[in-house]
Amino acid sequence: MIRVTRSAIIDAPVDVVWSLIRDFNSHWAWHPAVGESRIENGEPADRVGCVRNFFLKDGNHIREQLLTLSDRDHLSTYCILEATVPMQRYVATVRLAPVTDGDRTFWHWQSTFATPPGAEKTFEEMVGVGVYEGGFAGARAWLAREGRRQWDPRRDGLKPAA
Amino acid sequence: MIRVYVSSVIEAPADAVWAVIRDFNGLPQWTPFVADSRIEGNRPSDQIGCIRHFRLKDGGQIREQLLTLSDYDYQCSYAILDSPMGVSQYVATLKLTPVTDGDLTFAEWWAEFEPPPGREQALASQIGQGVFQAAFDALKRRFGGFSPAAAGVTAR
Repeated sequence: MIRVTRSAIIDAPVDVVWSLIRDFNSHWAWHPAVGESRIENGEPADRVGCVRNFFLKDGNHIREQLLTLSDRDHLSTYCILEATVPMQRYVATVRLAPVTDGDRTFWHWQSTFATPPGAEKTFEEMVGVGVYEGGFAGARAWLAREGRRQWDPRRDGLKPAA
Repeated sequence: MIRVYVSSVIEAPADAVWAVIRDFNGLPQWTPFVADSRIEGNRPSDQIGCIRHFRLKDGGQIREQLLTLSDYDYQCSYAILDSPMGVSQYVATLKLTPVTDGDLTFAEWWAEFEPPPGREQALASQIGQGVFQAAFDALKRRFGGFSPAAAGVTAR
C-alpha cells in the first residue's frame, strides 16, 4: 500500500471551497482531468453511498463511492469501486479547514492504495500531481472565473450541451 | 464550555516551524508576550506531564502542564493549572500540518475552557487574538523571507 498526500492553501473562504467538494458530482466542472460524470441511479450527490460514474479525459473509466460526508468537519471520503487503471483498495479523503488569519482555506487530500509491484512511483505521480495538484489548480481557476462564489448544484450541476 | 480556534499559514516548512515551537519551555524565545519561563522540578521540557511556569510581560503568572507532544503529528496539547484569567478546564492544542504546495505550514491552535460568567467574549478575544494570533504573527515575522540557516535548521 502506498499513501499519497497533497495540500494547498486556496484563496477563498472555506464555505465556498466546501460547496465544490460536497457535491460529489461537481468535479467535471472544475477538475481538468475529468470528463463526463454522473451519479448512478439519479441519486442526490450528497447521499452517502452514492456512486459517481465518470471518464477521465485520457479515456479511463472510474466508479467511485461516497463513504463519508461531513458538513461539520468539511470532510469527504470515497473509494474506487471499479477502474480501468490498476489501483486496488483506493480510499481517499478530502479535508478542508478554515485559515482564520485571512479567510482562506487549507485543503488536505490524501489516499492509500495498492499498485502493481514496481509501479508505485508512477501511481504516486499520477495521483499526487495529475489528480490532486491538478485539482487544486482547477479549483483555483474555477473560483477565479466565478468570482469566488459558491457552487450551486441545482444550477451549476446542469451540464452544458456537448 | 467555549471553543476558540485560530489558524494561519507560516511561510516555512513544517519541520522548521516545529523546531521552534516544540520546546514547551521556549515561549519567551518565540512569543511576544512571555517574559521568562521555567520547567518545574528541572524536568526535560519534552517529558509528558512536565509543568511550565512562565511570567507574562504584563506580570501575570501561568502554570501549564504538557499533555501530548507528537513529533510525528507536529502536535502539542496542554492544560492550564493556574492563571490570572479565571478559566477552568482549559485544554489547548497547537498543531502544524505541512502544505505541500509551496512547502509551507498550516498552523492551528485551539482551546476549550469554561469561562467565568459574563467573560465569554472578552476571554475568547483575549486568547484567540491576544495569545494565539499574536504568537502566529510573531512566527510569520520570524519566517518572513525563509532561509534554512536563519531558522536554525541544519542539514544532517
